[in-house]
Amino acid sequence: MRTLVKLVVITSVVMGLSLLLVLAGVSFYPSSRVRWLALAYLNTTYNPYLPNFTVWSPESVTAIVWDYRGLDTLYETTVFFLAIISGLALGRGVKRLNLKPGGDMGLSLIVKTVTRITGPMILAVAASIGLHGHLTPGGGFQGGATAAVVPVLYIVIFSVFYLSWKGVSTGRMLTMRSIGLIGIGATSIAVFTAGLLEGAPAYVFQNIAKATSPVSMPYYIHGALTSGTLWWFNLFEFLAVSAGFALAFIILMTPEADKNG
Amino acid sequence: MGLDLLVYGLGALASLLSVIAVYLALEERDLVKAVIYSAVQSVFYSLLFYLFMAPDIVLVYLPVAGGVLPALLLVLISKTERFERE
Repeated sequence: MRTLVKLVVITSVVMGLSLLLVLAGVSFYPSSRVRWLALAYLNTTYNPYLPNFTVWSPESVTAIVWDYRGLDTLYETTVFFLAIISGLALGRGVKRLNLKPGGDMGLSLIVKTVTRITGPMILAVAASIGLHGHLTPGGGFQGGATAAVVPVLYIVIFSVFYLSWKGVSTGRMLTMRSIGLIGIGATSIAVFTAGLLEGAPAYVFQNIAKATSPVSMPYYIHGALTSGTLWWFNLFEFLAVSAGFALAFIILMTPEADKNG
Repeated sequence: MGLDLLVYGLGALASLLSVIAVYLALEERDLVKAVIYSAVQSVFYSLLFYLFMAPDIVLVYLPVAGGVLPALLLVLISKTERFERE
Protein backbone atom coordinates (compact mmCIF):
# COMPACT_ATOMS: atom_id res chain seq x y z
CA MET A 1 0.00 0.00 0.00
CA ARG A 2 2.75 2.42 0.99
CA THR A 3 4.73 1.74 -2.18
CA LEU A 4 1.59 2.27 -4.24
CA VAL A 5 0.93 5.63 -2.56
CA LYS A 6 4.56 6.59 -3.08
CA LEU A 7 4.32 5.65 -6.75
CA VAL A 8 1.08 7.59 -7.27
CA VAL A 9 2.43 10.68 -5.53
CA ILE A 10 5.71 10.72 -7.44
CA THR A 11 3.94 10.11 -10.75
CA SER A 12 1.41 12.89 -10.15
CA VAL A 13 4.13 15.35 -9.11
CA VAL A 14 6.22 14.57 -12.20
CA MET A 15 3.22 14.67 -14.54
CA GLY A 16 1.94 17.87 -12.96
CA LEU A 17 5.30 19.60 -13.22
CA SER A 18 5.76 18.60 -16.84
CA LEU A 19 2.22 19.67 -17.67
CA LEU A 20 2.94 23.00 -16.01
CA LEU A 21 6.15 23.49 -17.96
CA VAL A 22 4.82 22.41 -21.34
CA LEU A 23 1.11 23.12 -21.69
CA ALA A 24 -0.35 25.22 -18.88
CA GLY A 25 -0.70 28.90 -19.56
CA VAL A 26 -1.50 28.13 -23.19
CA SER A 27 -4.34 25.63 -23.17
CA PHE A 28 -5.77 25.54 -19.67
CA TYR A 29 -7.34 28.96 -19.30
CA PRO A 30 -10.96 28.62 -18.24
CA SER A 31 -13.52 30.33 -20.41
CA SER A 32 -14.21 33.95 -19.57
CA ARG A 33 -17.89 33.59 -20.49
CA VAL A 34 -20.36 33.34 -17.61
CA ARG A 35 -22.78 30.43 -17.80
CA TRP A 36 -26.48 31.25 -18.05
CA LEU A 37 -27.30 29.87 -14.59
CA ALA A 38 -24.64 32.05 -12.96
CA LEU A 39 -25.90 34.96 -15.04
CA ALA A 40 -29.42 34.47 -13.69
CA TYR A 41 -28.18 34.49 -10.08
CA LEU A 42 -25.88 37.47 -10.59
CA ASN A 43 -28.65 39.44 -12.31
CA THR A 44 -31.16 38.97 -9.49
CA THR A 45 -29.07 38.91 -6.30
CA TYR A 46 -29.17 42.70 -5.85
CA ASN A 47 -31.44 44.28 -8.39
CA PRO A 48 -33.89 47.04 -7.32
CA TYR A 49 -35.45 46.95 -10.79
CA LEU A 50 -36.69 43.37 -10.26
CA PRO A 51 -38.34 43.68 -6.82
CA ASN A 52 -40.13 40.31 -7.17
CA PHE A 53 -36.97 38.34 -7.91
CA THR A 54 -34.17 40.04 -6.01
CA VAL A 55 -32.77 39.06 -2.59
CA TRP A 56 -31.36 42.54 -1.83
CA SER A 57 -27.96 41.08 -1.04
CA PRO A 58 -24.80 42.04 -2.96
CA GLU A 59 -23.18 38.80 -1.75
CA SER A 60 -24.54 36.24 -4.16
CA VAL A 61 -23.04 33.26 -2.31
CA THR A 62 -24.92 34.03 0.91
CA ALA A 63 -28.02 34.80 -1.15
CA ILE A 64 -27.81 31.36 -2.76
CA VAL A 65 -26.98 29.59 0.51
CA TRP A 66 -29.78 31.10 2.61
CA ASP A 67 -32.39 32.17 0.07
CA TYR A 68 -32.34 30.45 -3.33
CA ARG A 69 -31.18 27.12 -1.81
CA GLY A 70 -32.22 27.84 1.79
CA LEU A 71 -33.73 24.43 2.53
CA ASP A 72 -30.44 22.71 1.62
CA THR A 73 -28.64 24.82 4.22
CA LEU A 74 -31.33 24.09 6.80
CA TYR A 75 -30.69 20.36 6.37
CA GLU A 76 -26.95 20.98 6.50
CA THR A 77 -27.46 22.70 9.85
CA THR A 78 -29.50 19.69 10.97
CA VAL A 79 -26.59 17.39 10.10
CA PHE A 80 -24.23 19.58 12.14
CA PHE A 81 -26.71 19.55 15.03
CA LEU A 82 -26.90 15.73 14.97
CA ALA A 83 -23.10 15.41 14.74
CA ILE A 84 -22.61 17.52 17.87
CA ILE A 85 -25.42 15.71 19.70
CA SER A 86 -23.94 12.29 18.91
CA GLY A 87 -20.51 13.53 20.00
CA LEU A 88 -21.99 14.63 23.32
CA ALA A 89 -23.87 11.33 23.67
CA LEU A 90 -20.53 9.48 23.46
CA GLY A 91 -19.23 11.38 26.48
CA ARG A 92 -22.33 11.13 28.66
CA GLY A 93 -22.14 9.54 32.09
CA VAL A 94 -18.41 10.24 32.36
CA LYS A 95 -17.41 12.05 35.54
CA ARG A 96 -15.20 14.99 34.75
CA LEU A 97 -12.82 16.94 36.91
CA ASN A 98 -13.74 20.42 38.06
CA LEU A 99 -10.76 22.22 39.57
CA LYS A 100 -10.07 25.84 40.44
CA PRO A 101 -7.75 27.30 37.80
CA GLY A 102 -4.34 28.16 39.24
CA GLY A 103 -1.54 30.34 37.95
CA ASP A 104 0.72 27.36 37.26
CA MET A 105 -1.69 25.79 34.77
CA GLY A 106 -1.19 26.18 31.02
CA LEU A 107 1.62 27.87 29.14
CA SER A 108 3.91 30.78 30.10
CA LEU A 109 2.84 34.30 31.06
CA ILE A 110 3.97 35.74 27.70
CA VAL A 111 1.72 33.37 25.75
CA LYS A 112 -1.17 34.05 28.11
CA THR A 113 -0.85 37.83 27.76
CA VAL A 114 -0.70 37.61 23.96
CA THR A 115 -3.79 35.38 23.97
CA ARG A 116 -5.63 37.84 26.21
CA ILE A 117 -5.07 40.46 23.49
CA THR A 118 -5.67 38.30 20.40
CA GLY A 119 -8.68 36.39 21.75
CA PRO A 120 -11.10 39.35 21.65
CA MET A 121 -9.62 40.37 18.28
CA ILE A 122 -10.42 36.96 16.80
CA LEU A 123 -13.95 37.24 18.21
CA ALA A 124 -14.36 40.68 16.63
CA VAL A 125 -13.18 39.40 13.25
CA ALA A 126 -15.51 36.40 13.58
CA ALA A 127 -18.47 38.65 14.38
CA SER A 128 -17.70 40.87 11.40
CA ILE A 129 -17.41 37.83 9.10
CA GLY A 130 -20.69 36.47 10.42
CA LEU A 131 -22.80 39.60 10.65
CA HIS A 132 -21.58 41.15 7.38
CA GLY A 133 -22.17 37.86 5.60
CA HIS A 134 -24.90 39.36 3.41
CA LEU A 135 -22.57 42.19 2.24
CA THR A 136 -19.08 40.70 2.02
CA PRO A 137 -17.72 37.14 1.66
CA GLY A 138 -18.47 35.12 4.75
CA GLY A 139 -21.56 34.16 6.68
CA GLY A 140 -22.82 32.46 9.80
CA PHE A 141 -20.90 29.21 9.46
CA GLN A 142 -17.64 30.93 8.52
CA GLY A 143 -17.90 33.39 11.40
CA GLY A 144 -18.92 30.67 13.85
CA ALA A 145 -15.99 28.44 12.86
CA THR A 146 -13.62 31.39 13.31
CA ALA A 147 -15.08 32.18 16.72
CA ALA A 148 -14.68 28.52 17.71
CA VAL A 149 -10.90 28.90 17.46
CA VAL A 150 -10.96 31.15 20.55
CA PRO A 151 -12.13 28.52 23.10
CA VAL A 152 -9.64 26.05 21.63
CA LEU A 153 -6.83 28.58 22.13
CA TYR A 154 -7.95 29.34 25.68
CA ILE A 155 -8.21 25.66 26.58
CA VAL A 156 -4.70 24.95 25.30
CA ILE A 157 -3.05 28.10 26.66
CA PHE A 158 -4.88 28.57 29.97
CA SER A 159 -6.81 25.43 30.85
CA VAL A 160 -10.29 24.06 30.41
CA PHE A 161 -11.08 25.01 34.01
CA TYR A 162 -10.23 28.65 33.26
CA LEU A 163 -13.07 28.75 30.71
CA SER A 164 -15.69 27.38 33.09
CA TRP A 165 -14.38 29.70 35.80
CA LYS A 166 -14.91 32.61 33.39
CA GLY A 167 -18.49 31.47 32.78
CA VAL A 168 -18.06 29.58 29.49
CA SER A 169 -19.65 26.40 30.80
CA THR A 170 -21.17 23.50 28.89
CA GLY A 171 -24.64 24.43 30.09
CA ARG A 172 -24.37 27.98 28.77
CA MET A 173 -22.91 26.81 25.47
CA LEU A 174 -25.78 24.33 25.10
CA THR A 175 -28.27 27.13 25.79
CA MET A 176 -26.61 29.44 23.26
CA ARG A 177 -26.60 26.71 20.66
CA SER A 178 -30.27 25.94 21.28
CA ILE A 179 -31.11 29.66 20.97
CA GLY A 180 -29.32 29.64 17.61
CA LEU A 181 -31.17 26.59 16.33
CA ILE A 182 -34.57 27.82 17.54
CA GLY A 183 -33.80 31.17 15.89
CA ILE A 184 -33.02 29.48 12.57
CA GLY A 185 -36.32 27.59 12.78
CA ALA A 186 -38.25 30.73 13.72
CA THR A 187 -36.67 32.78 10.91
CA SER A 188 -37.51 30.15 8.32
CA ILE A 189 -41.22 30.37 9.14
CA ALA A 190 -41.32 34.08 10.08
CA VAL A 191 -42.69 35.33 6.75
CA PHE A 192 -45.06 32.36 6.55
CA THR A 193 -46.46 33.23 9.99
CA ALA A 194 -46.81 36.91 9.02
CA GLY A 195 -48.71 35.77 5.94
CA LEU A 196 -51.04 33.64 8.07
CA LEU A 197 -51.73 36.59 10.39
CA GLU A 198 -52.38 39.00 7.53
CA GLY A 199 -54.38 36.50 5.51
CA ALA A 200 -52.02 36.82 2.54
CA PRO A 201 -50.42 33.84 0.80
CA ALA A 202 -46.82 33.26 1.93
CA TYR A 203 -44.35 30.40 1.85
CA VAL A 204 -42.03 28.69 4.29
CA PHE A 205 -38.47 29.97 3.75
CA GLN A 206 -39.76 33.03 1.93
CA ASN A 207 -37.65 36.15 2.14
CA ILE A 208 -38.68 38.95 -0.22
CA ALA A 209 -42.16 39.41 -1.68
CA LYS A 210 -42.88 37.32 -4.78
CA ALA A 211 -45.36 37.79 -7.58
CA THR A 212 -47.87 35.48 -5.86
CA SER A 213 -47.20 36.64 -2.31
CA PRO A 214 -46.98 40.28 -1.16
CA VAL A 215 -45.47 39.55 2.28
CA SER A 216 -41.82 40.44 2.70
CA MET A 217 -39.15 40.50 5.41
CA PRO A 218 -37.89 44.08 5.97
CA TYR A 219 -34.66 44.35 4.01
CA TYR A 220 -33.68 47.84 5.14
CA ILE A 221 -33.72 48.51 8.89
CA HIS A 222 -32.97 52.16 9.75
CA GLY A 223 -31.22 52.59 6.42
CA ALA A 224 -28.96 49.60 7.00
CA LEU A 225 -29.23 46.80 4.44
CA THR A 226 -30.12 43.54 6.20
CA SER A 227 -31.32 41.59 3.13
CA GLY A 228 -34.45 40.29 4.84
CA THR A 229 -33.95 36.90 6.46
CA LEU A 230 -30.26 36.60 5.50
CA TRP A 231 -28.93 38.70 8.40
CA TRP A 232 -31.05 36.78 10.92
CA PHE A 233 -30.02 33.42 9.52
CA ASN A 234 -26.37 34.47 9.69
CA LEU A 235 -26.74 35.68 13.29
CA PHE A 236 -28.40 32.48 14.52
CA GLU A 237 -26.12 30.21 12.52
CA PHE A 238 -23.15 32.09 14.03
CA LEU A 239 -24.48 31.41 17.54
CA ALA A 240 -25.26 27.75 16.83
CA VAL A 241 -21.94 26.92 15.14
CA SER A 242 -19.63 28.76 17.54
CA ALA A 243 -21.39 27.40 20.63
CA GLY A 244 -21.58 23.89 19.13
CA PHE A 245 -17.85 23.75 18.41
CA ALA A 246 -16.99 25.26 21.81
CA LEU A 247 -19.22 22.71 23.54
CA ALA A 248 -17.59 19.78 21.73
CA PHE A 249 -14.10 21.01 22.61
CA ILE A 250 -14.87 21.68 26.26
CA ILE A 251 -16.32 18.17 26.62
CA LEU A 252 -13.42 16.55 24.77
CA MET A 253 -10.66 18.37 26.60
CA THR A 254 -11.93 18.16 30.19
CA PRO A 255 -9.93 15.42 31.92
CA GLU A 256 -11.92 12.53 33.30
CA ALA A 257 -12.11 11.96 37.04
CA ASP A 258 -10.94 8.69 38.56
CA LYS A 259 -13.56 5.98 38.88
CA ASN A 260 -13.31 6.13 42.66
CA GLY A 261 -13.75 9.83 43.00
CA MET B 1 -2.53 38.04 -19.36
CA GLY B 2 0.49 38.56 -17.09
CA LEU B 3 -1.60 38.63 -13.90
CA ASP B 4 -3.61 35.61 -15.05
CA LEU B 5 -0.41 33.68 -15.64
CA LEU B 6 0.78 34.58 -12.13
CA VAL B 7 -2.52 33.43 -10.59
CA TYR B 8 -2.54 30.12 -12.47
CA GLY B 9 1.17 29.58 -11.86
CA LEU B 10 0.75 30.13 -8.12
CA GLY B 11 -2.28 27.83 -8.16
CA ALA B 12 -0.34 25.08 -9.91
CA LEU B 13 2.57 25.49 -7.50
CA ALA B 14 0.23 25.37 -4.47
CA SER B 15 -1.47 22.22 -5.73
CA LEU B 16 1.87 20.49 -6.38
CA LEU B 17 3.16 21.44 -2.92
CA SER B 18 -0.09 20.21 -1.36
CA VAL B 19 0.47 16.80 -2.99
CA ILE B 20 3.94 16.70 -1.43
CA ALA B 21 2.47 17.66 1.97
CA VAL B 22 -0.08 14.84 1.69
CA TYR B 23 2.71 12.40 0.84
CA LEU B 24 4.73 13.50 3.87
CA ALA B 25 1.65 13.21 6.11
CA LEU B 26 1.03 9.66 4.88
CA GLU B 27 4.67 8.63 5.29
CA GLU B 28 5.24 10.12 8.73
CA ARG B 29 5.13 7.68 11.65
CA ASP B 30 5.02 10.44 14.27
CA LEU B 31 1.32 11.30 14.24
CA VAL B 32 1.81 14.81 15.62
CA LYS B 33 4.06 15.67 12.68
CA ALA B 34 1.56 14.03 10.33
CA VAL B 35 -1.19 16.34 11.64
CA ILE B 36 1.07 19.35 11.03
CA TYR B 37 1.78 18.21 7.46
CA SER B 38 -1.94 17.79 6.93
CA ALA B 39 -2.51 21.34 8.19
CA VAL B 40 0.17 22.57 5.75
CA GLN B 41 -1.75 20.86 2.95
CA SER B 42 -4.93 22.66 4.10
CA VAL B 43 -3.12 26.00 3.95
CA PHE B 44 -2.14 25.31 0.33
CA TYR B 45 -5.74 24.37 -0.42
CA SER B 46 -7.04 27.60 1.07
CA LEU B 47 -4.51 29.52 -1.05
CA LEU B 48 -5.95 27.69 -4.07
CA PHE B 49 -9.52 28.58 -3.08
CA TYR B 50 -8.46 32.20 -2.67
CA LEU B 51 -6.70 32.32 -6.05
CA PHE B 52 -9.70 30.77 -7.78
CA MET B 53 -11.97 33.46 -6.31
CA ALA B 54 -13.88 31.50 -3.67
CA PRO B 55 -13.35 33.73 -0.59
CA ASP B 56 -16.37 32.22 1.19
CA ILE B 57 -14.76 28.79 1.11
CA VAL B 58 -11.42 30.25 2.29
CA LEU B 59 -13.12 31.77 5.32
CA VAL B 60 -14.62 28.46 6.37
CA TYR B 61 -11.69 26.29 5.30
CA LEU B 62 -8.98 28.18 7.19
CA PRO B 63 -10.46 27.96 10.72
CA VAL B 64 -11.83 24.43 10.23
CA ALA B 65 -8.90 22.77 8.47
CA GLY B 66 -6.16 24.94 9.96
CA GLY B 67 -7.42 25.37 13.52
CA VAL B 68 -10.26 23.16 14.67
CA LEU B 69 -9.45 19.89 12.89
CA PRO B 70 -5.72 19.72 13.85
CA ALA B 71 -6.65 20.61 17.44
CA LEU B 72 -9.24 17.82 17.50
CA LEU B 73 -6.75 15.31 16.03
CA LEU B 74 -4.07 16.35 18.53
CA VAL B 75 -6.51 15.79 21.42
CA LEU B 76 -7.34 12.34 20.05
CA ILE B 77 -3.63 11.50 19.60
CA SER B 78 -2.93 12.58 23.17
CA LYS B 79 -5.50 10.02 24.31
CA THR B 80 -3.89 7.16 22.32
CA GLU B 81 -0.32 6.61 21.13
CA ARG B 82 1.87 9.16 19.43
CA PHE B 83 3.79 6.77 17.15
CA GLU B 84 2.28 4.58 14.50
CA ARG B 85 3.34 0.93 14.79
CA GLU B 86 4.44 -1.32 11.95
